[in-house]
Amino acid sequence: MNLLSFLSFLILVITLLTMVFGVLAYFLYKAREKKKGEDDISYEETVEAQGGELIFFEKDVKDV
Amino acid sequence: MVKLIQKIVFVLMMLGGLALTYYSVDNLQRIFIDTSDIFVRFAVILIFVFTLCIITRYLLLMFFSAIQTIRRSAAEELYKEHSHRVSIIVPCYNEQAGIVASLRSLLLQTYPNIEIIVVDDGSKDRTYELAKTFEFDDGIKKLRVLSKPNGGKSRALNYGIQYAEGDLVMSVDADSKLDPPAVDLLVQHFKDEQIAAVAGSVKVINDDTFITRLQSLEYIEGLNMVKNGQTFLKLVNIIPGPIGMFRKDALKRVGYYDHDTFAEDCDVTLKLIEKGYKIDFEPDALAQTEAPEELLQLIKQRYRWTRGILQAIKKHKNYLWHIRENKSMSFVMWYMLFEAIFWPFMQLWGDMFMIYLALTSGTSQLLVFWWVMFTVLDVAGAVYCLLITKEKLSLSFYSIIYRLAFITVINIAKIFATMEEWFAFEMSWGTLDRKGRI
Repeated sequence: MNLLSFLSFLILVITLLTMVFGVLAYFLYKAREKKKGEDDISYEETVEAQGGELIFFEKDVKDV
Repeated sequence: MVKLIQKIVFVLMMLGGLALTYYSVDNLQRIFIDTSDIFVRFAVILIFVFTLCIITRYLLLMFFSAIQTIRRSAAEELYKEHSHRVSIIVPCYNEQAGIVASLRSLLLQTYPNIEIIVVDDGSKDRTYELAKTFEFDDGIKKLRVLSKPNGGKSRALNYGIQYAEGDLVMSVDADSKLDPPAVDLLVQHFKDEQIAAVAGSVKVINDDTFITRLQSLEYIEGLNMVKNGQTFLKLVNIIPGPIGMFRKDALKRVGYYDHDTFAEDCDVTLKLIEKGYKIDFEPDALAQTEAPEELLQLIKQRYRWTRGILQAIKKHKNYLWHIRENKSMSFVMWYMLFEAIFWPFMQLWGDMFMIYLALTSGTSQLLVFWWVMFTVLDVAGAVYCLLITKEKLSLSFYSIIYRLAFITVINIAKIFATMEEWFAFEMSWGTLDRKGRI
């Protein structure tokens, strides 16, 4: 096998692997974003989960 | 002596790149002649056009950038302009990790006539409290902290501009810090009445991991070759979030920042170019920013940039076809379209075509020439930029990894983002996880 053929084969394999890796990484990112979105529940959703009972937070003092 | 050797290496690389281009084109020509397959012929033509575009882009940008660098070094500074009042707006949302360092850097600016307005965009962390401890007013310099319900960066910027006293407005990201002379250097460009905005340089501060070093190289090339080249025509197409200064009147004339894209910096720059203003770049005004350290965070950033830029292009798409209406705007739009869509698609298409050729007729030397050609051009571009910025030349070796793997992963994310934008998939702003490395 001459050098050009070897390099050509090597680049081919790396390109293929990178492309597969790129697609996987993208879908992993999308899955993580989706999961994050599900974790970010709103106040209304939390109240509903509590059976309609009010939730009290401690006051965060800000001198606006 | 070392400098001379470096310059010789750069010239040899450029010549090598051109020689490899010749071999690649020669190989493509042979494939075109030998095959009767319509698909292969079509693919060869596409790749040939793409290769020509890329080579032209590299050469033109490098040429313009070199002229710009010579121009700058020859320019004599007659006097320093200090009469402009500069309002620095710092929009922030959950930036407790970096806000202190960012504000400190603003307070250390050598330019005397500044006010700093921090706009807390409804942060859920301690950003507001931390910023509030910096509030002061000494009659000339002052820092105030405003708070508003969360509404996105563009609204936070507009909110801050409402309170700005200065005739020049500067936007600075809360995850970035500026070098002391940055404001002073940017202000000097406004002696020219045609200039509506000036972009500064952005440098990766956390370039101590593999992934951030690759980004560091990307930033250095993007600024010193691309932005410096664009400065030749005074048509810089994006004022970066970490450092950019605007004439307030010009911003008012274009209706300030719009809220309908995820790249408000790109959109507002295009609106200014649309009105006939010039946009400049100051390479020595430096902002240091924290780059994503994880691959998925990086993909998130690039996904957002791509969709944002495409949204901005979509908003002004009539200039793509009505070239006579505004030649500068059309030129910028076509350039952006090339960088945002054409390049990533063609790069991936080229890779896939090479794989197809290898599977149907065995691996060919074209694959090696094609890949080495891009790598040599990348390395030559990197060496040129590292030489003019006096950065570590060792970074240029990362160009090989950049071409071999990094850019393919980023291009795939860009292509998916383009498809999602095309099919109008829902998108949220989101925030990048900050480590507070600034």
